[in-house]
Amino acid sequence: MSFELISPNTLRDALDLLDVDDPSIRPFSGGTALRLMMKSGVFSPSKLVVLRGIPDLSGIEISDDGSLTIGALSTLAEVETSALVARQVPVLAGALKHLSNRRVRNVARIGGAIAHGDPHMDLPPLLSALNAEVIVESRNGRRHIAVEDLVIGYYETLLEPDELIVALRIPAQDDWHSAYRKVTARSADDWPALGVATSISHEGKEIRDIRLVVGAATERPTRLDISEGVLRSEGVAGLPRAVEAAMESVEVMDDSHGSATWKKALLGVELRRSVEEILGRNA
Amino acid sequence: MTKKPIKFVLNGREVQAFVSPDDSVVDLLRELDHFGARESCGQGLCGCCTVLIDGVSVTGCLELALLLDGKRINTVEGLDADGQLSAVQQAFIDTGAFQCGFCTPGFILMIEQLLDENPDPTDDEARDYLSGNLCRCAAYPEILSAVRNAAMKRKTAQGADA
Amino acid sequence: MGDKTMTTTEVGRSLPRLEARQKVTGRANYTHNLKLPGMVHAKVFRSTVPHGKILSIDTAEAASYPGVAAVVTGKDILDVVPEPYYGPAFHDQPILALNKVRYVGEPVAVVLADDPRIAAEAVELIDAVYEELPAVYDETEAMTSDAVVHDELKPAGTFPDLKHLNGRKDTNIALDFHLKQGHADAAFASAAHVFAHSFQTQQTMHTPMEPIISLAEPSGDRLIIHTASQSPSFVRSEVARLLGWSENRVQVKVGHLGGGFGAKLYIKLEALVAALALLCRRPVRLSLSMEEQFYTISKHASTFHIKSAVDKDGRITARKCEVLWNGGAYADIGPRVTQKSGFTATGPYDIAAADIDSYALYTNRPPAGALRGFGIPQLVWAYESHTDLIARELGMDPVEFRRRNILKDGRPHVTGTVMKDAAIDAVLETLAERMRWSEPFDRGEGTVKRGRGVAIGFKACVSPTTSVATVTVAADGSVTLHHATVDMGQGSDTAMAQIVAEVLGVRTEEIRVVDPDTDVTPYDMATLGSRSTFHMGNAVRKAAEHARTQLDDMAKSLGMAETAAGRVKEVFRRTYGMQAGTVVGVGTYIPEYVSPNEDGLSDNVTPFWMIGGTGVEVEVDTETGRTKLLKMVNAADLGTALNPRIVETQLSGAAIMQLGFTVSEEMILDGGQVTNASLADYKIPGIKDIPPVIENCIVDAHTETGPFGAKGVGESATFGVSPAVAEAIQDACGVRLTRLPMTAEAIFHALHGDKK
Ligand SMILES: Cc1cc2nc3c(=O)[nH]c(=O)nc-3n(C[C@H](O)[C@H](O)[C@H](O)COP(=O)(O)OP(=O)(O)OC[C@H]3O[C@@H](n4cnc5c(N)ncnc54)[C@H](O)[C@@H]3O)c2cc1C
Ligand code: FES
Ligand code: FES
Repeated sequence: MSFELISPNTLRDALDLLDVDDPSIRPFSGGTALRLMMKSGVFSPSKLVVLRGIPDLSGIEISDDGSLTIGALSTLAEVETSALVARQVPVLAGALKHLSNRRVRNVARIGGAIAHGDPHMDLPPLLSALNAEVIVESRNGRRHIAVEDLVIGYYETLLEPDELIVALRIPAQDDWHSAYRKVTARSADDWPALGVATSISHEGKEIRDIRLVVGAATERPTRLDISEGVLRSEGVAGLPRAVEAAMESVEVMDDSHGSATWKKALLGVELRRSVEEILGRNA
Repeated sequence: MTKKPIKFVLNGREVQAFVSPDDSVVDLLRELDHFGARESCGQGLCGCCTVLIDGVSVTGCLELALLLDGKRINTVEGLDADGQLSAVQQAFIDTGAFQCGFCTPGFILMIEQLLDENPDPTDDEARDYLSGNLCRCAAYPEILSAVRNAAMKRKTAQGADA
Repeated sequence: MGDKTMTTTEVGRSLPRLEARQKVTGRANYTHNLKLPGMVHAKVFRSTVPHGKILSIDTAEAASYPGVAAVVTGKDILDVVPEPYYGPAFHDQPILALNKVRYVGEPVAVVLADDPRIAAEAVELIDAVYEELPAVYDETEAMTSDAVVHDELKPAGTFPDLKHLNGRKDTNIALDFHLKQGHADAAFASAAHVFAHSFQTQQTMHTPMEPIISLAEPSGDRLIIHTASQSPSFVRSEVARLLGWSENRVQVKVGHLGGGFGAKLYIKLEALVAALALLCRRPVRLSLSMEEQFYTISKHASTFHIKSAVDKDGRITARKCEVLWNGGAYADIGPRVTQKSGFTATGPYDIAAADIDSYALYTNRPPAGALRGFGIPQLVWAYESHTDLIARELGMDPVEFRRRNILKDGRPHVTGTVMKDAAIDAVLETLAERMRWSEPFDRGEGTVKRGRGVAIGFKACVSPTTSVATVTVAADGSVTLHHATVDMGQGSDTAMAQIVAEVLGVRTEEIRVVDPDTDVTPYDMATLGSRSTFHMGNAVRKAAEHARTQLDDMAKSLGMAETAAGRVKEVFRRTYGMQAGTVVGVGTYIPEYVSPNEDGLSDNVTPFWMIGGTGVEVEVDTETGRTKLLKMVNAADLGTALNPRIVETQLSGAAIMQLGFTVSEEMILDGGQVTNASLADYKIPGIKDIPPVIENCIVDAHTETGPFGAKGVGESATFGVSPAVAEAIQDACGVRLTRLPMTAEAIFHALHGDKK
């Protein structure tokens, strides 16, 4: 197995190296996910385009409207330890502490974490609940994609092979409060068996708006629309119905983390607990 | 397989080496007779292969050796360069924080980093920080004592310096 | 050696391991580090079917792959080893599969190349065709299955007690062990209560952090094998037997091991690298990946049916045990587990009548061998769970029920051996006290419930086995110890040096301990089953005493007083006229032992008993099934600890390992294929999985026959963990699990009834 490792110095050069028709050429940011796939033989690249040397793709900034822009090459550890992130989206800093381990977070980049498309990941559901979007660039220009729409199936995303995520944008959270509950089944440190991300705009116990996203137990991060609807219209009194709706509507997979039956039950419990946690925390 | 030359600084010494694209950092270190970072799980989970690159802990079994070009890499072998064990190394001995020792260099390097960032970690903070290091001999209780012991040693040393 | 009152200075001192500095600086000498001039790397091509006839192996493409030195199959091995079957109990395992494969992952061919990655790539080019045969995976099915894993049983000639099995056909029962004490049937007929339960354990893996590795190096008409092995003497004699050579032509060298736990016993890769090195006449290195370890050796899955007769006062009057051990495709040491552990299946209780039937079974799974406890944790899991269930049904406190039945010193065990230096009751009482058993207990609230449990177990030491050591005193008085106990982290080098230091009156740190090397270190049966402290400890003590006697004699003949420690140099100088000469002390130890008769009875089955127990407090989230261990107390009778600090680490280390086997670890098989053969999917305990409170109690009970009163320690804290957790779960939330591992999901299903 031989491949070429190229380290372009500009975004332009990187984009030029990618090829919409050749998925064996891949962008490589932290490489932590790619290396696992290469070592297990599920992916053999012809060319890896290392993004690490590209300036201007890292850094975390806040705009006047309170939104955060995180460069795609920011490492997960940079995001985890950023004071800005801790202030603006504490839920993200908290979730990162339990995502993989510190060595991987020192190397893995936020762009890679979003682009990977593995269902057993923590950030896609959480960033969806936070209503975040990615800014994507190719030789043909830029586009914005909501994280919620990005992953379309099992290891499948809307990204074309010649597109790069250049940044992540998280809107100002204002009166939105969030929680992310990661459930691991086989040991404390593990990929999630289930991730439940909850964002609520509320005053006291009164729910104004809500975003609920389940990940890891499903083939792709999935919005719990019906449950959201119930909570929007019935408020917290509708919680039991919302939980039931979530368990009924979502297609949960059997996998090495556990059976669908069990994970469905977990989903119900964690969903209820996270709504209660948020409302209780900010009451 | 085409090998490419790279230059880097290994424990303070400049090194040149020829590496293949799929050589990992542990593969390369092995070739350079540095065995302190070693491969066990090969998947980023156990930390036996931990090294510091430009001062940051990295998984040596995943990181590609070619990417070391122009960087500084530190391994456990460099910690006692002056003949003195580091506070963390000494704490490992004083608290008996290992049995077979295969995982030990990885834990030590991680704890060096932890204490640089957070000189006085709680047990829970230490657990979070070390969650990616596995010890099959399960010296975990002693490793947590070693963290506390090393934190104290570092503080005392700083007090003495001041 | 009844030196209970003797005061010691080196023995009993908690000094750090002698090799501590090398370990914290990354410089310890693991076999892993070794590079030999001109060596080639081997990569194994493995079977993809669980049971099948090999129709063809196409190696042409791999052989012509650039950089490949050779491709070797089972047939090629015959050129150097005409009878290529090995194993400690049965000669059943081929060096590379011949004619048949018996499990998915079995080595079928090997590629040799200068670059390990080339070897790995070329392996992908090999193509084998099999005619699949029916396979059997489950131990209960294996008892009666038409799928037969081995055409014929081939016991190793070294064990006279296995001779009758020679050539037995059409069976998967490699060995059946039976014990009959008293009249169990009569006791059952007249019992006030009869209780019967069945329990199961899963197949698990040792996962030493240093994966299994061996190198072989041809050297003239000899062969040097460098290997991460727990049994260098066995490797030497078994490889010599396979090659038809005298033992002195095979040299086996072992460095420090990065963990062993039983995975690195007997022959693992050594016979293969030896054959490969002879075939290609170059040094060969074979280092397994973490994944490949799962295809090499594992811990027995088991099924245990246990039945007790209990009188109206809560005394157990008789017990029947049927234990089925799932040994996988090759027997390894399984038959010994079946027998040497089997006879303790009734537990540490005073029971007059017992029937034990214990079966070693072949199945089409990766082979099972010894893993920290040699079968005992599987047995304790069942008999202690059974004990708690009986106590519940009788409405008795589980500790009280144990007290009533416990086997005390001076009383006979069901084998007929009278218990001696076995502090079973002291271990139980220590646990009860440290768990504050008689005090009120916070049972949690809402949906989160708490419970607690204790369990105890015991183990006989595999017997009779031999250890030999030599202690050399140089003319300057410095001391070197040669012994073949392998230090895999348990601290044996340090403990043995402490014994020598104590006897010779020098400091432990000054003693040089030579790494196992069969050219210079004398015979030792193996480092297993917690036998080393006792057996090798005694041999080392004898060797040191022998050296000391010689020094004393030299001193006497010079008219000096008995050697004062500091004057050894003077003794040599005056004896030899200059700083010259060497004193070699030799010590050999083999304990007394009486083989069981045909009823499995003997009045001396073990040189000593190991006793261990654990108490836990557990919290169960009844909505999700998730459990959290709040506290764990481990207690063990270790005789007198040689190095208390090292011993404590052994206790918590063993208990945490067993905790993994209790709540999470399991090799999952699909059609014989292990589907979770990596640390990504087979989760061993990490630093966040251990209870916040762990207490280790050394129950100090002198062992009269042990070196300075010590006995083995490496396994004792594994015994009680699983049943204590099961009891605590039931105590918390009312459900009883009878199969390991007790995952959150299993607890959830038990609580909520809906099976998947
Ligand atoms: C030991 C271990 C444990 C883990 N545990 C967890 C866990 O608990 N939870 C969890 O969520 N994740 C976990 N992960 C996965 C981890 O989050 C990902 O490996 C990591 O985030 C990927 O980032 P990277 O920069 O290394 O990506 P890379 O490996 O570089 O790339 C991943 C994918 O994204 C593509 N890509 C990379 N950058 C870009 C870009 N800028 N634009 C477009 N495409 C891009 C690559 O081509 C590739 O397809 C774990 C990983 C490891 C190794
Ligand atoms: S070997 Fe690299 S993390 Fe385990
Ligand atoms: S000390 Fe053996 S693996 Fe940690």
